Amino acid sequence: MYRLRILGAFMMFALAILPAMASAQVRMTVPPQSETIALQGATIHTVTNGVIENGTIIFRNGIITAVGADVEIPAGTRVVDATGKHIYPGLIDAYSTVGISEIGAVDMSNDVNEVGDFNPNINADVGVNAESRHIGTSRSQGVLTTLTTPGGGLISGMSSAMALEGWSWEEMSMESAAALNINWPNPNPRSGRGFGGFGRQSGPQPTYEERVLQLKDYFAEARAYRDAVAAGETVRTDARYIAMVPALNRDIPVVVSASSAAQINDAITWAKSENLRLVIRGGDDAIHVAARLKAEEIPVILTSTMDAPNREYEGYDEAYGRAAALYEAGVKFAISGGAGALYTDRLPYEAGVAVAFGLPEEEALKAVTINAAELMGLDDRIGSLETGKQATLLITTGTPLDMTSNIEQAYIQGRELDMNDIQKHFFTKYMEKVRQRMRIIS
Amino acid sequence: MGDFVKTTLSALTLSLLLAAGASAQQSSRTQPIEGIRDNGTGYHALVGARVVTAPGQAIDNATIVIRNGMIQSVERGGTPPAGARVWDLTGQTVYPGFIDSHADLGMDQVPEGGDVGPTHWNPQVRAWFSTTANLQDDEARRKALRSQGFGTALVVPKQGIFRGSASVVNLGDAGVRDRVLRPDLAQSIGFQRSFELGGRYPDSSMGVIALMKQTFMDADWYERAWDAYDASGRAFLPPETSAALGALENAVHGQQPVIFETRSEEEYLRGQKLAADYGLDAWYRGNGQEYRILDVLSQTSAPLFVPLDFPDAPSVDDPESAMDASLAELRHWYLAPTNPAQLADAGIDFAITSDGLTSVADFLPNLRTAVARGLSEDDALAAITTTPARYLGIEGTHGTIAAGKVANLVVAEGDLFTTEADVRDVWVQGKVYGVTRAAQIDPRGTWMIASDDQWGFQAQLTLEGTLNRLRGFIDVAPGRNVSEGVRVEIASASVIAETGRLEVRFPGDDLGYEGTALLAGSVSGNDFYGWTALPNGANPSFQGERTAPFTGDAVGTVASDVPDIDLPWIRPMMEYGVPSIPQQPAAVFVRNATVWTQGPQGRLENADVLIRNGQIAEVGTNLTAPRGAVQIDGTGKHVTPGLIDPHIHSGVSDVNETGATIVPEVYMGDVLTHNNIWMYRQLAGGLTTAMIKHGSANPIGGENVIVKMRWGLLPEQLKLEGGSRTVKFALGENPKRCCYEGRYPDTRMGTQEIIRDHFLAARDYEREWKAWEASGEGIPPRRDLRMEALLDILNQELLISSHGYRADEFLALIRLAEEFGFRVQTIQHGVEAYKIAPELAAAGVAAAVWSDWGGFKMEAYDATKYNVRILMEAGVTVSLHSDNQQIASRMNWEAGKLLRTGLTEEQALTTVTINAAKVLAIDNRVGSLEAGKDADFVVWSGNPLSQFTKAEQTWVDGRRYFSLEEDAVLRAQVENERQQLIQAVLSAGSGDRGSNGGGN
Repeated sequence: MYRLRILGAFMMFALAILPAMASAQVRMTVPPQSETIALQGATIHTVTNGVIENGTIIFRNGIITAVGADVEIPAGTRVVDATGKHIYPGLIDAYSTVGISEIGAVDMSNDVNEVGDFNPNINADVGVNAESRHIGTSRSQGVLTTLTTPGGGLISGMSSAMALEGWSWEEMSMESAAALNINWPNPNPRSGRGFGGFGRQSGPQPTYEERVLQLKDYFAEARAYRDAVAAGETVRTDARYIAMVPALNRDIPVVVSASSAAQINDAITWAKSENLRLVIRGGDDAIHVAARLKAEEIPVILTSTMDAPNREYEGYDEAYGRAAALYEAGVKFAISGGAGALYTDRLPYEAGVAVAFGLPEEEALKAVTINAAELMGLDDRIGSLETGKQATLLITTGTPLDMTSNIEQAYIQGRELDMNDIQKHFFTKYMEKVRQRMRIIS
Repeated sequence: MGDFVKTTLSALTLSLLLAAGASAQQSSRTQPIEGIRDNGTGYHALVGARVVTAPGQAIDNATIVIRNGMIQSVERGGTPPAGARVWDLTGQTVYPGFIDSHADLGMDQVPEGGDVGPTHWNPQVRAWFSTTANLQDDEARRKALRSQGFGTALVVPKQGIFRGSASVVNLGDAGVRDRVLRPDLAQSIGFQRSFELGGRYPDSSMGVIALMKQTFMDADWYERAWDAYDASGRAFLPPETSAALGALENAVHGQQPVIFETRSEEEYLRGQKLAADYGLDAWYRGNGQEYRILDVLSQTSAPLFVPLDFPDAPSVDDPESAMDASLAELRHWYLAPTNPAQLADAGIDFAITSDGLTSVADFLPNLRTAVARGLSEDDALAAITTTPARYLGIEGTHGTIAAGKVANLVVAEGDLFTTEADVRDVWVQGKVYGVTRAAQIDPRGTWMIASDDQWGFQAQLTLEGTLNRLRGFIDVAPGRNVSEGVRVEIASASVIAETGRLEVRFPGDDLGYEGTALLAGSVSGNDFYGWTALPNGANPSFQGERTAPFTGDAVGTVASDVPDIDLPWIRPMMEYGVPSIPQQPAAVFVRNATVWTQGPQGRLENADVLIRNGQIAEVGTNLTAPRGAVQIDGTGKHVTPGLIDPHIHSGVSDVNETGATIVPEVYMGDVLTHNNIWMYRQLAGGLTTAMIKHGSANPIGGENVIVKMRWGLLPEQLKLEGGSRTVKFALGENPKRCCYEGRYPDTRMGTQEIIRDHFLAARDYEREWKAWEASGEGIPPRRDLRMEALLDILNQELLISSHGYRADEFLALIRLAEEFGFRVQTIQHGVEAYKIAPELAAAGVAAAVWSDWGGFKMEAYDATKYNVRILMEAGVTVSLHSDNQQIASRMNWEAGKLLRTGLTEEQALTTVTINAAKVLAIDNRVGSLEAGKDADFVVWSGNPLSQFTKAEQTWVDGRRYFSLEEDAVLRAQVENERQQLIQAVLSAGSGDRGSNGGGN
């Protein structure tokens, strides 16, 4: 009986798609683009310049040279027929730990939190493991760039913009110090959630006000250091204060993790007094501060759109509807791939859910492409399909934000990726086991 | 400082001064005489008072004659008999002595070094503990209770789960041998362990209930075991000795009451179920949340002792903290003081206890609050006199003022329930105990005062308010200290009752001093002589004269300090609660939808669904709607079966019993909670059925429970009737790493062996039972719930639902089951299930897995989204599960994620519908839209697998428990109620807190 059933079950899938059969390796890294490529006949979602039906996109040496309905294809171009397909920019996860966190509960596989409260000189890219399994699985769901970000302390360090293709972190890193990250203190500290409430510290803890003061003080010292150097004073080198300079000079954004209304309000007050390029990350209560965010032109990176409401009276869809509410309030935002670092591959769904709860689909797409790029100062290179930008893009059967469509091929900086990943590898391997067992049976 | 500060009226210890008592007769006492005897007459006549003899009955200007501790007569007018000491109580009010139905008198201590002797293997089982045998003097607590009017109390033990027996005692100063009225009247049982007593098991609410069940059964067995031993002529070795089990014999036969100590309305319901299942005569120490289950309570007459520990108001001091105040909190704050009134209005019998108050001194103030919030004076009095007297079986001697009853009385300066009248004296067994003395003076009015020193300090002092809550201010005339006149609010003013002295404190800052200034002196008529104590150390004396009296009630009346808010009764009593569950229409007709039957009919376009009386009647195209059917236009919509999640942990009080390694006797269904906002949220995402699982701390955990999302019903009503029984197993990292140093197992091999050894033990248990049943010889075996659960597993009646990650551990469990000849029903999580897909298929094991969880720990590292697909390809019945309350509220999207692994849409949806039902072995009831199945279905805005789709309506049992329209209405109500309640907190906080008498 079982034998027949197993065989029958297998036959159902005879026509179903199978991932590309890889040989021994899980995911091969490919060389830089060597020949000019034209993707022809697709619906091209440029994000910044509308949708082009039956369009063609051409890229050379990793850079887009033409996008349009009627573009001339230079001689020697490899033409890829994409008729009936859709082309989107690669998705950008503005808050991720891909590459520096491998297995949640295995400490030795995590390089996220450095010791101490002030670590502005930490750059995430140097810790990125190019062989991380999460790189392949993220790409398979359309995420081609991450802002890999350290955590912990008051000043956690620098997010690095990482293209998810390359033999080493060096090759992958697009921007080593893309943004300075700050964890805003919690005005209402509560004991830890979940099993056992671990994480409780012994001894008297500094108050909220004291923590805010520590942060202010650190910025004041850093500014004094910068100015002393500029004034020609001889000072001992301070690696951390030097690392602060781009943030103090507004050359890079300062991303402040703040969730509650009180945190967001206080962070804005502080950042204004420090004259910083503030970005709020988290932003659960951002809608309650929306007028101020809009007036001060402060953008938000939403980190938990598929999460629980924080309060019992809030609607079941409080988190789902956050993006739509901010959009209607005129606040600029990006959406990131969930609080769980291991789940950057859920980014498309984090954005898609907002559509079900009122956000226009094109705005959801912007939230994981051009908006994320703009917030992080990467919009000169990625985030939309425009001439002169990098050819980091997806060929799909429909919107990447909905699971009813598939992502078939991705390019990063013009490199045609090997779309295999560890999960597809296990599929291939263990389908072989199913096949072998059935052969023995039949 | 506010403009009002509670003043204190001095209450000296008067009991010794007034010790005009009667000693018990010498002929009936065992203690020899020592020293000189104290022979007061014990003969008293209390005259002139208004005597409330019983609730609703009063005699003005009555005479009460007391002799030898008993009331000899009560009559209107009357003449005090010659020889009796006459107490003039003109203007006073006398009540029967109050009875505290649940008091703690020194029973909250744990013996140092633990209990000794053959008590019970579990230190939490202390049924042997007698409050009579261990009666303590606890003078401080007795005095505190007496000062609130109590003369009698049920003393209840406080430690452990089985706490021991409670006794009725009087609260007088007689020695402990003269205090007990009814020894060891009832057994006390609590729903939580006392950590001070030690022991590991149980450490969860369901473990506590499992221990209760086992102990009830053991007590019954214990008696039979000893009977069998005695009957045999002691022909074999005796059974074990257990003082605890012996002490429970009467209780388990319904011959001694059992008091369940409840902390929530849910614990009340749990106690009620235990009482019904084990034939107990249950009493209940209530919890203040009774108003939530009036419908249940009105069906029972079980004694109920209600506390008055009203909650503090939630903090709403700034808008950001007000954002965090939940409606559940706010509602309880507002409604808790109405709990006694609501009980009385519903005709439910109850007593009121001081137990649970932070300070016993809050008792009368809180009782007055309850009266101000709607409890009648008569009901209030009954709840502390006649009702507890009846419960405790002392109604023949206590509870009213009548000839022949024990002389327990409360003498008050006025109405104790509606005014802030003080208790003057309390009589216990004919002996009087002073509580407060009347103030000898009334200092209220306007006084001109001037100091006698060279500075010539001049001021006008104004005192207002009631005598025991004086307030006022001082107008200082211009002089040396102040160039211009200044008004200073006084910080406190109090009268020393016995000496006629007045003390006034006020801040010195406006007078140029840092600190508090004191004005003290003697009042005599309209003259005031006294001195000042200034912060600089100067003590000028002064004189004053009253220039105007103050007219107003000497005693304050008590009124509600909250606005009237119309808060409809809802269940659960929290956000999104409903006044009743939705109607079940006789017929419902869904027209012209895309219907995913997930059954043999497949997915139908432009199809109709007919529901009759809560069941699917027919699915097809071009059906005819019955007359009167509720119609739903499904055009453009999709209809699917209600979603099913075989693994959540929300909706129960606890998740893990970690006190023992193997705990299949604990049952998650014992600790369901309906106060669970997640149920509403899950409904909103289309979930209609779920299995609530025990945690993963144990190789063999507890029994799970399958519930339907019937928002608005009580815990027992949530259970899926006739659902399968399943038990949690856990393999791999979690049971290894759990709980405490040195716990076995620490390896996967040990996990396998401890499971095997317990199966073997169950077989031995079964064999011993069979041998005894065949021969009837020896001590009768004891029913062991743990062993019986293990046998149920071996007999395939309790289906295994095993947590685990790696392929190897599942394979080991399957082989172990085969060794014992049974089948594993389902593996859960199964991150590596795909690696043994053919083996699972061959063994008939179903799998419930995640769509895309993985990587969060070592054993989850080989996760693949293709898990479901490989399992399906191999012919394994596979569903999704969430293990997460939020994900459980959007299982359609979890299924949608599978599309990118190559599943068809209908295959993807099976994982959250019919396959999930098969995993739980409930596919005969739910999981597909087929005639005869439960009408659990969801109407979606579009393709349910799309990220862009949401649920519009969710139906369970043919009732529409969720719809977007209704949700919008509920949200508006929630917000409206919250705003009103936040306003109420703000206004109650800014007003005169004293007027509520609460001080909470």
